[in-house]
Amino acid sequence: MELFALLVILIVVLGAGLLVQWLPMRHQPRPSWSQRVPFLGGGTPDSHAWSRYHVRYYAMTLLLIAFEMEMMFMYPWAVVFVETGMKAMMEMGMFLAILSVGIVYAWREGVFKWQ
Amino acid sequence: MAVSWLHKLAARGRVPVFPVLGKQGDGVLRHLALSPQIELVDSPRHASVLLVAGEVPADRFEPLRRVRDQLPYPFTTLWFRSEPWPHLERVARIDDLDDLPGALVTAHRELMEGRRGSAHRLLPDKPPNPWEGKGDFGQGGEGMMGGVPYGRPMAMNMEDDIRDGLTLDSLTFRLGPFFFAFPPGMAAEITLQGDLVQTWQTQLAPYPQPLDEVFFDARERPVPIAEVELARVRHHLHRLFHALHLAGLEGVSLRALRLAHELSTSSTLDGLRRALSRSGFFRLTAGGGVLGSEQARMIGGPAARAAGLDDDLRAEDAGYRRLGFSPVCQTAGDTHARWRQLLDEIDQSLHLARLAERDRVHTEQTGSIETPRGPWSARRPADASTLFDELLPGLEWGGALATVASLDVAGLADQPVGTRPSGESRAVRGGTGNDV
Repeated sequence: MELFALLVILIVVLGAGLLVQWLPMRHQPRPSWSQRVPFLGGGTPDSHAWSRYHVRYYAMTLLLIAFEMEMMFMYPWAVVFVETGMKAMMEMGMFLAILSVGIVYAWREGVFKWQ
Repeated sequence: MAVSWLHKLAARGRVPVFPVLGKQGDGVLRHLALSPQIELVDSPRHASVLLVAGEVPADRFEPLRRVRDQLPYPFTTLWFRSEPWPHLERVARIDDLDDLPGALVTAHRELMEGRRGSAHRLLPDKPPNPWEGKGDFGQGGEGMMGGVPYGRPMAMNMEDDIRDGLTLDSLTFRLGPFFFAFPPGMAAEITLQGDLVQTWQTQLAPYPQPLDEVFFDARERPVPIAEVELARVRHHLHRLFHALHLAGLEGVSLRALRLAHELSTSSTLDGLRRALSRSGFFRLTAGGGVLGSEQARMIGGPAARAAGLDDDLRAEDAGYRRLGFSPVCQTAGDTHARWRQLLDEIDQSLHLARLAERDRVHTEQTGSIETPRGPWSARRPADASTLFDELLPGLEWGGALATVASLDVAGLADQPVGTRPSGESRAVRGGTGNDV
């Protein structure tokens, strides 16, 4: 019953939302194709502007995430390390090995070079 | 109900106008910029009125059709000192600059209140190439990027990067001739890789720019130096206004324009210079667009002097020599140096105008004069927009536009400026009215 009431509320809210959007738009003609082309001061594009763009800080981000994740995991690990002993040591070793792959990759990309 | 209330509210607001500049149209732009009821917008998407200002040559009709169709519904067009196309219904041609703001406001109000119907679109309402529904994403081709959705291929054409070897998708497009950051009438084919200009090819040269009548008179007979120098300052301030508008510094740009409108020998640049420093304009234009000595010689004028060449025909005029004139120069030759040079030349011209007015000094050399655009002896300064083709590749987009704004490349027109300042034309009209 409660689920049904929630469903009705959801439908009413969605309907009201769509109605609010539809009411002002109902008399407006759809933008024509000639209106929708990108504005280039009268010029035309050769291709879509969906280009792959180089995020130049990505190597630095990779490094930050690698070390930050390491720290996030190491603090709780340090609390249980004394109780759990060697098993915790092994687990942390595996975790660090995986993270270090990312660090080695970033190293190869030249992130440690000062430019 | 709500919509009609919104329309009434819009009708009372400032009129968003997108100006399409034809020959001698930029004077209109400066007139409207100071009009409180008009808001000049840089994209047709924000406008309700398209203003065609000045005669648009036939080779720019197709771009004009494209821009006209990009205004959102409802919209209308006004033609200022330009013959409207005969197949357009109910278009107004205005010839008097003083009537223009009123006509724009009336057109906008009538449009918003529903008393005037929206203009019709000229181009066919169909996609350049229909969505074909083939391929993994319905893009009409093989693979993710293989098709030509809506008639345009995806940006997959790789070219070697000229910055640091990181090759990105390059984007080729044609920009202009109605792009606000370019000199009026100029169009270029540009390839960008990321934000870097890979190639630049100027396709349409800017319209020849008209100069003040006093420069034409100076080639015929001696004229008061004060008058020549004030006209020179006005030309430079107009250029500064456009550059500041491009930099988004609207308040300072209008300040430069007001200074140009109210210019007299008692005007000073100090306030504007301080405002420019405070606004960070000089940091925006730092570096980039360095002219070589050959390029500087080709363009001439203040841009050449900013690159260290001390060529100025005023130094050969006995009238100017009597006032103690010697050319001011910079050495760097980049965008920053060009604006410093322009401000120094404005200061110098105002100083010369004050001295010349006090001593009533006239020019003595005719035939070859130094215009604000460069030396005019045997031939008028010609168009130098092809300079951009070698100057802009390698610059980032912002730096490229700052360089375009800092260079006065348009050649000189063979007619003096036809648009009279508004005060003058009002006085002339008022006088005629009284006589009648």
